[in-house]
Amino acid sequence: MLIEVINLVKRYGDHIAVDNLSFTVDKGQILGFLGPNGAGKSTTMNIITGYISATEGSVKVNGLDVFEEPEEVKKMIGYLPEIPPLYPDMTVKEYLNFVADIKKVDRSKKKKMIENIMESTMIKNMENRLIKHLSKGYRQRVGLAQAIMGYPPLIILDEPTVGLDPKQIIEIRELIKKLAKNHTVILSSHIMQEVSAVCDTVLIIDKGKMVLIDKTENLSNRLGATGCIKLTVKGNRNKIMEAINKVSQITSIDEHGTEVNGVYDYTLYTDENVDIREDLFYAMSNAKCPILEMYSVKMSLEDIFLKVTGSNRSAIKPVEASDNNVFEEDSSVDLEEGQKSEEEVEVNEEENKDVSHI
Amino acid sequence: MLAIYKKELRSYFTSMIGFVFIAFFLVIIGIYFTIYNLLMGYANFEYTLSGITFIFVLLVPLLTMRLMAEENKQKTDQLLLTSPLSAFSIVMGKFLAVFSIFLIVMLIICTYPIIMMRYGTISTATSYASIFGFILLGGAYLAIGLFISSLTESQVVAAVISFIVFLFTILMESIANILPSDNKSAWVIFSVILLIICIIAYKMMNNLVVTIAIGVIGEAALTLAYKIKPTLFDGSVVKVFQWFSVTSRFDNFYFGTLDLSAIVYLISIIVVFLFLTTQSIKKKRWS
Repeated sequence: MLIEVINLVKRYGDHIAVDNLSFTVDKGQILGFLGPNGAGKSTTMNIITGYISATEGSVKVNGLDVFEEPEEVKKMIGYLPEIPPLYPDMTVKEYLNFVADIKKVDRSKKKKMIENIMESTMIKNMENRLIKHLSKGYRQRVGLAQAIMGYPPLIILDEPTVGLDPKQIIEIRELIKKLAKNHTVILSSHIMQEVSAVCDTVLIIDKGKMVLIDKTENLSNRLGATGCIKLTVKGNRNKIMEAINKVSQITSIDEHGTEVNGVYDYTLYTDENVDIREDLFYAMSNAKCPILEMYSVKMSLEDIFLKVTGSNRSAIKPVEASDNNVFEEDSSVDLEEGQKSEEEVEVNEEENKDVSHI
Repeated sequence: MLAIYKKELRSYFTSMIGFVFIAFFLVIIGIYFTIYNLLMGYANFEYTLSGITFIFVLLVPLLTMRLMAEENKQKTDQLLLTSPLSAFSIVMGKFLAVFSIFLIVMLIICTYPIIMMRYGTISTATSYASIFGFILLGGAYLAIGLFISSLTESQVVAAVISFIVFLFTILMESIANILPSDNKSAWVIFSVILLIICIIAYKMMNNLVVTIAIGVIGEAALTLAYKIKPTLFDGSVVKVFQWFSVTSRFDNFYFGTLDLSAIVYLISIIVVFLFLTTQSIKKKRWS
């Protein structure tokens, strides 16, 4: 066990930033720290790295307490804070040299290590540029290079892909995955896809409290099934309803009216693990009402996240993981919003059960 | 520590502040040197040095303002404080870097008495003793400046506060002289100072009980001492205020004596403020 966080509490006056947080991270794990803004992610990370102290509780890295032996613990941690700690007046190479020095990297290994790290973070072509002339994406990568310096066993990254373009995000994710082969990685994010793409364990925290911790794949299996099908059909309204009613096992139907003349949207609910898509297809086919779009809604990590943190849906635009293409939905987002909140209410009850048995 | 030292030193010369400081310092010393030693023909280099102690007020804030404040602002303190460096080695590295810049100026100045030697006999010992005193004086101001810089995130605030504090250390000599020296007003002034300390303590700790305890115990001790032995307070205000007059410690060097108490005083100022800076960095963890 590499990290052990026990009953961590951080208070700022009356405000509680971290509330009784406990978890452990094993060697070689990638732990995703998920939470809305202000959930206490950065505070927790700052405590683990020894930058600030906890009000109560303790953090142990490799069996050493952060408060009792800070220097030993700091040797084992590479940290990329929210704002990359860069000196704008240094060149990339000078900066990495400096970081290697303060992290007490062996002189003989230093040069080679800097070269290797610059290559793996793809900043080699920028080595002689001043950091103040770099773009946000490159700065982030230099920050990442700084965290990796010395190859510490534990790497902590606070929102590592913020401000990067999609191509860079994918590159950085690949890099993090590569790192995880030899290091333990904790990364925080409020982007769900990122966590589901990179991490093997997810810890969701909200208002300083841990909401749940589980393996990524268990999460979507356990909380992901909704038994909900979205349907867009062209034809006569009465005919469509008739056809739908012929299909058994549907528990309820939501009708969303029409956008284009003669095209209707529906959301159909069944029990979980029941597949009625085939029956629907034939029913519509017999009624001569062509199906334009049909997919079963699965809960993405994002939905699970919103569900367990109970965030306001209008604040974050819903994106659904579906069998279909996500882009097609954009036109009907407004309609879905209303429907989704209903779905959320239903789902919330389910979630309460889930959380209580964690 | 060496890494921090090298980094700071380099940043002084990449950002020009180092050159500006050295150049400006040398210009002012040059003017005084020319007037006192070359034109007026005094054989004492210490006159020049004691004439320019005010230069620290102007130039030291320029050098020290960015030391910690910039790290705080750019969040690079996060890098330093999460690295395996101790707070003290960070402070030491920074102090030695800024002290080295100052030493460059002092090394150049060491050649001035040699120039004077060409034109007659001078007192080499007092000249170099005064340069030594001047170096310590500079070190003390740099340490105070470093401490002030560690308290804030803004370089401008650090510079302004340093400027005011340094100005006070220079004016303190004259201020102390006009303060009352009788024991009753001394008791009143100390009580007021105690009150101010209590207010500051309350602001920092937010603990009313401790603050009142400090106030009551302190006031009781003061009053008791005053009742038992009022003569203890005679001239004490002046003494206390003079204690803060950093520059006046240089006076003995001006008169050509190597004053041990002044040397100890200046070195302890350096040590105390380096210690305070370390504490102020460590304190950040507990905020």
